[in-house]
Amino acid sequence: MPNRKERERFERLMLRHLDAAYNLALWLMREPAEAEDVVQTAYLRAFEHFASFTGGNAAGWILTIVRNTAYNSLNKRKRSSNLISFDEVVHSLQPDHALTAACPGPEAILQAAGDRQRLMDTLQRLPVEFREAIYLREIEGYSYKEIADITQVPKGTVMSRLARARGQLQTLLTEQQQRTQSRVV
Amino acid sequence: MSCKEILDNIEAYLDGELTLSDRRDVEDHLADCADCQAELERRRALGQVVRKTGYTPAPAALKRNIKAGLKDLTGEAEARFGWSQLIGFSGGSALVASISVWAVMSFLPALSLQTRLHDDLITAHVHSMLVDHVTDVASSDRHTVKPWFNGKLDFSPQVHDFSQAGFPLKGGRLDYLRQRPVAALVYQRRAHLINLFISRADDRQPRALHSGSQQGFNLLSWHKQGLAYHLVSDLNKKELAEFAQLLIQADH
Repeated sequence: MPNRKERERFERLMLRHLDAAYNLALWLMREPAEAEDVVQTAYLRAFEHFASFTGGNAAGWILTIVRNTAYNSLNKRKRSSNLISFDEVVHSLQPDHALTAACPGPEAILQAAGDRQRLMDTLQRLPVEFREAIYLREIEGYSYKEIADITQVPKGTVMSRLARARGQLQTLLTEQQQRTQSRVV
Repeated sequence: MSCKEILDNIEAYLDGELTLSDRRDVEDHLADCADCQAELERRRALGQVVRKTGYTPAPAALKRNIKAGLKDLTGEAEARFGWSQLIGFSGGSALVASISVWAVMSFLPALSLQTRLHDDLITAHVHSMLVDHVTDVASSDRHTVKPWFNGKLDFSPQVHDFSQAGFPLKGGRLDYLRQRPVAALVYQRRAHLINLFISRADDRQPRALHSGSQQGFNLLSWHKQGLAYHLVSDLNKKELAEFAQLLIQADH
């Protein structure tokens, strides 16, 4: 049984990444209650395997466990396919630059995104693997290599996922903007 | 570089993932190509939009629950969960119906104390529904339910009806946790039954709301004025927490 000293060391190293862990879980699970469940389960599991943490990148270590716990939970409930289902091959076949011809400028994108909640709703329509890549890159600012380590895929996959994810997001925002415009007219 | 090559590298350029020489090539091209520059600005704007969402701070309760859970794992919290041993059911043939559920839940090895407490509570909850023995006294009238416990327990549980808030009282029964009689009050939310177990707490320390979920059931526990309260239901967490707030406020 781990002792008090280890618990204190674990808390010191890992609790400072609680916000990052919670936000990653929130992006993956979408529901705050489920995100809380995932983070709590992940932290307790992480503590049980604390011996396997050999120092170094504590944030990366705990986020990997949070991410795996979230996927377990999603797979268990077979919910990962309830919106846009993810298929690496199919999603990779869409040439992302084909979209850009009809794309709006930066101001229009900002406008279409609307308030924070609306933007979150739009982001949540992306497949979970895309949300994960965008979260780790844009919010956490991780490098491709770091994202590859956390998500356990090759660096090239991270790069292509990010490109598709951004392409899809742009498409969703463009559609949203067109809908808004047609309502105004 | 051609425009096509620029588009292939534009993400990596913005993400700072290009080598120095590739970056120079991209920048040279951008300086002369308005189309690619416009594309770059679009991508940059998209990134800004996403980053605008920012962080949602983790709830304070989450940190508390993790800390409490960690203490359970080290055994530091042992004293707080004194009554979490096995349940002794009374109820004759009723026992047979629940024995398999009970066996699976109770003998899992190496469960933390808190997990065992949760198991016990869930078992009692499931048991009450399995054997169709939800209530000993079926009444939505708290003036009927409360006196029914007189002489059966060495404390007098507060009984409230929350029909107005959508949690009608269905009745009460005597249950047993660790061979100790406890009051079980039964409430309903739509099709969900809620068991509220009230027992004497092992210490008089008040304890803040503590949540858990297992096997599809949600649990909420707190200690107040020397009594331990435990809610168990398949109702969602949010509504169960609302109900806990009603109970805590009503007891004031």
